[in-house]
Amino acid sequence: MTTTTPTAPRAGASAGGRPPAGRAGVLRRTMARREARIGLLFALPAFLLFLTFRFGPAIAGVGLSFFDYTIGAGAEWTGLDNFRRLVVDPVFWSALRVTIVLSILIVPVQLAISTLMALLVRRAFRGSRFFRSVFFLPVVTSLVLAATIFTWVFSTGGPWSTLMGLLGLPTGSWLGSTVLVLPALALVAIWSRFGYGMLILLARMQDLPRELEEAAAIDGANGWQRFRHIIVPQLRPTLFFLAVIETTASFQIFDLVYMMTGGGPARASYNLVYEIYNQGFKYFDLGYASALGVVLFVLTLVVALVQRSVIGKEK
Amino acid sequence: MTRTTQRRTPSTIRRGWTAALAAGSLGALAACGGGADTGGAAPEPEEGAASGSVTMWTYPVIADEAAHKAFWDDKIAEFTAENPDVDVTVEIYPWSGRDETLATAIAGGKAPDVVYLIPDQLPKYAKSLAAVDNFVADQSAGLRENAKAAVTVDGDMLGSPLLMNAKPLVCNAEAFEKIGESGNYPATWDDLMALAPKFQDAGYDVTNYWGAVDATLNESFYPLLWQAGGSVFSEDGTAVAFNSAEGVEALQFATDLAQGGYVEQDLLTTIPAFEQTHTAQGKIACTWQQGPGDVASFWGEENVVVLPPLSKAESIGYGTVGGLSLMNTAEDTDAAGKWLAFATSDAVSAEYAKAAGWFGPYSDQTGLYEGDELMTALEGTLDATTAGDLNEKSREVMGVLAPEIQAALIGEKTPEQALDDAAAAAEPLLR
Repeated sequence: MTTTTPTAPRAGASAGGRPPAGRAGVLRRTMARREARIGLLFALPAFLLFLTFRFGPAIAGVGLSFFDYTIGAGAEWTGLDNFRRLVVDPVFWSALRVTIVLSILIVPVQLAISTLMALLVRRAFRGSRFFRSVFFLPVVTSLVLAATIFTWVFSTGGPWSTLMGLLGLPTGSWLGSTVLVLPALALVAIWSRFGYGMLILLARMQDLPRELEEAAAIDGANGWQRFRHIIVPQLRPTLFFLAVIETTASFQIFDLVYMMTGGGPARASYNLVYEIYNQGFKYFDLGYASALGVVLFVLTLVVALVQRSVIGKEK
Repeated sequence: MTRTTQRRTPSTIRRGWTAALAAGSLGALAACGGGADTGGAAPEPEEGAASGSVTMWTYPVIADEAAHKAFWDDKIAEFTAENPDVDVTVEIYPWSGRDETLATAIAGGKAPDVVYLIPDQLPKYAKSLAAVDNFVADQSAGLRENAKAAVTVDGDMLGSPLLMNAKPLVCNAEAFEKIGESGNYPATWDDLMALAPKFQDAGYDVTNYWGAVDATLNESFYPLLWQAGGSVFSEDGTAVAFNSAEGVEALQFATDLAQGGYVEQDLLTTIPAFEQTHTAQGKIACTWQQGPGDVASFWGEENVVVLPPLSKAESIGYGTVGGLSLMNTAEDTDAAGKWLAFATSDAVSAEYAKAAGWFGPYSDQTGLYEGDELMTALEGTLDATTAGDLNEKSREVMGVLAPEIQAALIGEKTPEQALDDAAAAAEPLLR
């Protein structure tokens, strides 16, 4: 006995059972093109806004880096002078060092804490939603407000110093120490951002097929082995995304420095963005500020490419 | 039509990257609009009543917004009674971000005609300002010498003083009573240093020192520098002079206070909320960085004593001057200049200064606060103040000097090394 499966005529096939005509294909392509045009039309306002207020100024900023431009005095073409100036400017190198050190202190710890927190709250348990909300709360808390409170927390007589004393460690203001100021800022930055990473990782973790973990557990893999060899490989694209986003964010930390240290003590927390702000809006040296902005952009791009090759490479 | 309006602007640029983009957009605007005129002769007032429109930007000098608006509405009415063809608009902007607002307005060709500026800002905007000497010739002779000097750049008045204030020495009578030194207030650095250990033993700071790099040196280090007989810049303004023997002496004094633990340590590196400071808590003997108005509500008015600035070689303190400046892009220069002269006249400035809780810049404006002992005492110190050197690079120089001073205060560098390093960093800025 043979069994046959009736097949429905394909869309576009003629009533007489002939293969699709060429005209139908043309019609489909025309429809697709029309849909694409409509889609582009919908995207156009956002694209124009982006072009005008993000891309345009960014290009203008690159252009401005080749000028000596002070408000009220006009612009004068100076070629690479602004870049030559920053090469010999010790403040630039110091700010660059601070920017990189701060990023090194923040990004790995933040990714680790975000992952840990996501693991802790990924399974539904009584109060899991509450904890997810609590962990995310710092992300939506005003950084200015947080910075004001943490300035007190890290002050000489503040709770942090008291805690250090109880642990038998040296007391005093971390914000007043050239060595400890960056760890203090890093702690606040991590506190304020880990919830974002947790949320992204949590969303990805909830999509992971449980069968793999369960199979590994049956085969005798312990918790660490399951995390290391099953969860982490599947999180790789998400971790890459977070690494790029958080590195960029750490390069652009301004609020905390502005509110908590002003770049001090003795320039120990004076980062590139703060230098850009000072040059642009305190000294109005907009050409030099733009040159610094270009350097920051290049730095961010290079780090993102390195991260892509290390974390984001596809197997 | 005449009106006073209140404007709101974003208080700070939150991200430096945004700053870079904003700088970029300014570049685009500059490329379209070209640079502002620089230099040129001071404009002359025309005969008779003025005509045209004038826009003035000011800030909440009078804290009560309604009272501030009412003040300018009254003055606009008075002015337009004499000049009926002039349309004056006064716009009150927030203090925060005022430089960003003004700078971007200038770059975008949207600058006001008249703007409220302080001496620290004048050199930065000098190329966008017109000299006002000819508009205020009749009234400028009556100005206090230091008020006039505070608006004069390269011999031109780039503003007309409207009000002034002083930061002499303010002491806490209660603290002196507590250590058994009632009435023994310091007049010199040596007096202050001699009292320091006694206050320390009693749990008081002898003074405060705002050493955070964002805190202006005008109120912290520069008064000490001037008191020692030094100056920030050389006389011709082409070099820095703070690394002189007087400068080292001034920084050594500040460093001794810091290293001796005689001042609040957190203030050396951060700017906490004022309420959290020893100053606000009354755990301090004297300060040259706060005025009586800042501390009276914390110490109790009866405990506030206003004294002349401390002295080493000279008794001199910081005093600021608020004035109105004329933009060189003003379309109706005659109307703007005449409005500026009217708004900064002796009578208007006296009324405005009193409404704001400040002082008038004219020599004859004494006794503004008759019956108020504190304000009368403060008024008596006005002539012992200076707004400091008006140099185009003063902010940049402050930017390289402040971290070095901080390094000395926290013991990272010696005063000599810190000032020499700052001078080396400042030298390329003045080329």
